[in-house]
Amino acid sequence: MEERPCAVLLKFPGTNCDAETAHALETVGFVTETVPISALKPETLVGVSLVVLSGGFSYGDYVMAGKLAKLVTEQRIGDTLKEFRDNGGYLLGICNGFQILTQLDLLPEGSLVENSSGRFQCQWVTLENKAPDSPFLSQLPETFEFPIAHAEGRLVTAEPGEAAGYLESGAAALTYTEDVNGSFEQIAGLQDETGRVFGLMPHPERFLRRGDHYDPDWGGDETWGSGYYLFRSLYESVTSSDENE
Amino acid sequence: MQEIFEISDRFINAADASHLLYEPVDGSLTFRRTRRYEVEAEGDRDKLEKFIKATLLDDISQELHFGEDSALEDFVFVLEYGMKPGALDLEKEAILTYYNGIKDPGFELKDLKIRQRIYLFGDKDAKSDRFVRDICNAAIHNWSVISGNV
Repeated sequence: MEERPCAVLLKFPGTNCDAETAHALETVGFVTETVPISALKPETLVGVSLVVLSGGFSYGDYVMAGKLAKLVTEQRIGDTLKEFRDNGGYLLGICNGFQILTQLDLLPEGSLVENSSGRFQCQWVTLENKAPDSPFLSQLPETFEFPIAHAEGRLVTAEPGEAAGYLESGAAALTYTEDVNGSFEQIAGLQDETGRVFGLMPHPERFLRRGDHYDPDWGGDETWGSGYYLFRSLYESVTSSDENE
Repeated sequence: MQEIFEISDRFINAADASHLLYEPVDGSLTFRRTRRYEVEAEGDRDKLEKFIKATLLDDISQELHFGEDSALEDFVFVLEYGMKPGALDLEKEAILTYYNGIKDPGFELKDLKIRQRIYLFGDKDAKSDRFVRDICNAAIHNWSVISGNV
């Protein structure tokens, strides 16, 4: 019997998208375990292929979105996530998880700050796939839609030129097709140099099936939404990595 | 020792102050927010400052201002508010829980006061009453209004 890869979802106080993210992962073939941060130990990740930081409002977004989650994670497990990546593991951060991954220095340098509108934005956006070879995006088309729901999703870098550099280097794996929240270079998602760490502000788990789309006449796949293909890309990358080991 | 410091955002411009109110304000007023912390501690000052920077500041997007002086200038007034003593301050609880988990921090945190500041810019005749009424909740907040220097 085929062994299914294991994904661990870290849950902080205020994380609220872990259930639907786990459902999406299980739909494409992962087995999942949701681990509260208070129970997280370095050995939790033994035998795990993927760590997911899902969306929500960890620690109420106090101080800055993702900041306290980063501190508590480092306090509990030190550099274990970096070691996990170095040993071939995959990490995915969605929305608040993306904010946490940037704070943890697992992605190219940047911060996610308040939207230029000054408001929480909940809407569908069109995205451009800038990294079709990414393990997370390989089955997605050049453009597609995902929903967003965030107040602090504007990616900034210490110097604006750094963000332009991310476009050139391929670190900016996902961009908005228009200015949605003031993100430098309209960046919606970043990947690290290995390609195995990816964070994005939009919510792929909220567009798993075609019925999740706002338009009943949406012209895409008959069964699945675009989010399915992000998780499916990831599953195939993880399983092919596992086979090569 | 006491440390007072304030954190402001580098990338967030002053926005229309009507966003803060239930009804739009007459005239031209804009606002910016900051966070102000008052820390009472004993022990190694350098380690305290290191803790403050690591815990409360984002190097990329924020700036840290030490001391009592206001972080921003040329404002009409500042509305400063925070949780009343005895009211549950979840930000403070989260910071203290993290602090309590640090082995040998090098200082003892005796007290932490967190205040939100809203700086208003523009019309120098603007009144603070409506901002106090619409932003502060008398059941849980205390507040003060600091007159500006324009």
